[in-house]
Amino acid sequence: MSPNPSPASLALDPTAIPPSDPPLIRLEGLSKSFGPVRASHDISFAIRPGRILALLGENGAGKSTLMSMLAGRLQPDSGRIFLRGEEARFDSPKDSIAAGIGMVYQNFMLVNRMTVAENVLLGQEKHFWVSPKAMEREVGELTRRFNLPIDPGAGIWELSMGERQLVEILKLLYRQSQVLIFDEPTAVLTPVEAQHLFEALRNMAGQGKSIIFISHKLEEVLAVADEVAVLRRGELVGHWEAKDIQSKEELANRMVGRTVSLEIAKDSRMPGEPVLRVEHLTGPRLDDVNLVVRQGEIMALVGVAGNGQKELVETVAGLRPPGSGSVKILGTDWKAFFANPSWKESLSYIPEDRLGVAVCREMTLTDNFLLTTRQGFCRGPWLRRKLARQTVAEKVAEFNVQPGRPDMLAGRLSGGNLQKLVLAREFYRNSRLIVAEQPTQGLDISSTEEVWRQLLQAREHAGILLVTGDLREAMTLADRIAVIFRGRIMDDFPVEDQERMKRIGLLMAGSG
Amino acid sequence: MRLIRVTKRTEPLGWGSVLVFCAALGLSLSLACAALAVQGVAPLRALALLWEGGFGSVWSLEDSLRKAIPIYLCALGVSFTFRMQIWNIGAEGQFALGAIGAAWAVLTFPHLSAVALLPLMMLSAGAAGAFWALIPALTKVRLGVNEIISTLMLNYIGILLLNYLVYGPWRDPGGRGFPMTMEYPAAAQIGMLGGTRLHWGLVLCVVLSVLAWLFLNKTRLGYEIRASGESLRTARYAFMPYGFLVFLVMGICGMLAGWAGFVETSAVAHRLQPSILVGYGYTAIVVAWVARLKIGPMALAAFLLAGLRVGVEVLQLELRVPAAFGHILEGLVLLTVLAGQFFHYYRLRLEWPGQRAEGR
Repeated sequence: MSPNPSPASLALDPTAIPPSDPPLIRLEGLSKSFGPVRASHDISFAIRPGRILALLGENGAGKSTLMSMLAGRLQPDSGRIFLRGEEARFDSPKDSIAAGIGMVYQNFMLVNRMTVAENVLLGQEKHFWVSPKAMEREVGELTRRFNLPIDPGAGIWELSMGERQLVEILKLLYRQSQVLIFDEPTAVLTPVEAQHLFEALRNMAGQGKSIIFISHKLEEVLAVADEVAVLRRGELVGHWEAKDIQSKEELANRMVGRTVSLEIAKDSRMPGEPVLRVEHLTGPRLDDVNLVVRQGEIMALVGVAGNGQKELVETVAGLRPPGSGSVKILGTDWKAFFANPSWKESLSYIPEDRLGVAVCREMTLTDNFLLTTRQGFCRGPWLRRKLARQTVAEKVAEFNVQPGRPDMLAGRLSGGNLQKLVLAREFYRNSRLIVAEQPTQGLDISSTEEVWRQLLQAREHAGILLVTGDLREAMTLADRIAVIFRGRIMDDFPVEDQERMKRIGLLMAGSG
Repeated sequence: MRLIRVTKRTEPLGWGSVLVFCAALGLSLSLACAALAVQGVAPLRALALLWEGGFGSVWSLEDSLRKAIPIYLCALGVSFTFRMQIWNIGAEGQFALGAIGAAWAVLTFPHLSAVALLPLMMLSAGAAGAFWALIPALTKVRLGVNEIISTLMLNYIGILLLNYLVYGPWRDPGGRGFPMTMEYPAAAQIGMLGGTRLHWGLVLCVVLSVLAWLFLNKTRLGYEIRASGESLRTARYAFMPYGFLVFLVMGICGMLAGWAGFVETSAVAHRLQPSILVGYGYTAIVVAWVARLKIGPMALAAFLLAGLRVGVEVLQLELRVPAAFGHILEGLVLLTVLAGQFFHYYRLRLEWPGQRAEGR
């Protein structure tokens, strides 16, 4: 690895932060290894009440390990945690919750069929008999105190992702957590919801809570954090006051350990034959959808989550039969195409849910690679695992999956590396239609860059339907953009059309 | 101030699992002894008799191995379905149907030579067992019926069917009214191995184990079975033929359990009679779980549990311990071994007070 860039603005001594208040929580030399892998090494920092600390780092940099040690899910091999100056140790999440440390995970842990108040009080009921009214009153007081716009009597099933996140926050506030940890909190939010979250964070910090939030989105880090700490390969490479950081490029370089461009070049090319043709598709959540994807182009389908993208994608990927209307893949009708789908030069689907759908965590990389390519590794009834293992070793190196041992369990890979494994597998199939659903969600900068490059490269021989909630991703990659709202394609235009590009936001909200 | 800390294991347990297994076994035996002591039976004497009866002599070892054969065949069968998370507990009924299938072949073609009759019995026993297992497979795939319920129910039907046949149409007229078929002709009996009391069923077990291992680890279908067991959503995503695989594993299980029924009637009972149904199909479930569905450990567990069965029979005779004691012992083994699997996922650390500064 090249020597780290160290511009003057970033070369701050970690101890330079003025110790005006005593820290609420202090880590001293925290280390944790998994076998030979050093996930956290000698990490020390402190955070004072009323401060927001952003913890930046690439996938596999050790952010999750560090936070899991704070949340009591993992125990450090060495090092100490001090809470208000006293040493603490957490053997289970219970211990750390009791000590006032709360964590909001990326996947919310809420009971869908219960109300907000019931979820907040779940497991915390004071008496055997519980009165819904009293619960709602109590939770209502809490929402007013912290100025969180949410109705305690609403059912979880009615709420948006942003509101569900507020419920998770309420749970922690109800348990009187003093340190709140957020794991990539904006990954599931729309831009407006993210702004609301930031306000809520500042509000809570204003009332003396310490907030740690994990992210790799530089803009939001600079927008909301008071302090920024950067992890790389399990080590803390720096800890600064946010106001002393000049530009996000410098921060990105610091995080990745090399210069990154944040821009990606794309040349335009002539689209070829249509590989996907959807006509008048109507069904659950879908309303007369018309869409054409041609070989050699990337069609981005943008919209706020839950507007029919999932239904459309699952239909195209063969997991859900189409209602009325027609879906033609590579010129073949849906039913005929999926009656006997070929593994090669046909259709690849890169699902949003990596661990639940695309990959089995308890199987090796080789076996996971075989999931959709197994027909290519057969000789009669026999599966040629040795050949597969060799191929996986090559592909894993080509796609920079780390660590890339073919016999390793997939569950050991970080999110970005898991996605690279899925891409390696799906691109191995030389598919002519690729459906990529939120392909860079939860990925760090360098993984995102790699995934984008791979998708652009695949455009050479395939048509790509890119379903994304990230407008920047759509604008960077797409040749055409389609906007979906309540199951309808609102408009469909080339990215060069400046006038219509400006109206995307309006289209996503259903007007224009 | 806590002395024992529980933490999640990050590395696999390895050889420690053997230790855990032995400890669990020891615990279940001591619990069983305690139960005997309450009954006024000398526990040490009982233990000695149990060992003597199950494993202590060539005679008892042979007996245990003979009993282990049908148990192992059934366990091998259910392990296929468990691997796919199909909770088939119908090995007992499939075993009964296999025995019926074999008996049908003998009673229909009593004069065939062994070369023709034994393969025919095997064919009809396997087919009958597989047929019995495919019924719940069909209702599961087509109608979404829970296989736990349907396989359990079919056990009772299979057992009643066997009883009906031996009390009715297939009853041996010369059997002085006992519910059993005629004794099989020599051509329908599986021969013994050399000068031992072990029969060729043992060789069948070895051959089938190798085949099962090859199938599960080296073929595409074996891979698809495993992957479908890991995650149904992934199986759908990768277009695994899930419905077909359910039929396949259920069919294989039924066939293997059916062969267990064939081996037991042909080599041990020499006729079809209700007393062949002593719960081997249920013991097989215990065996499969205790061995975590691995083929080698399943063979060992089958031998062990068969030995306990034989030993308990001796206890019944010598100490007048009730027959239910065998079930109690089997249940205890399953519970303690399953509880011991806690240590596959977690580790305990002992810590003395004062070793660390107190938290909080």
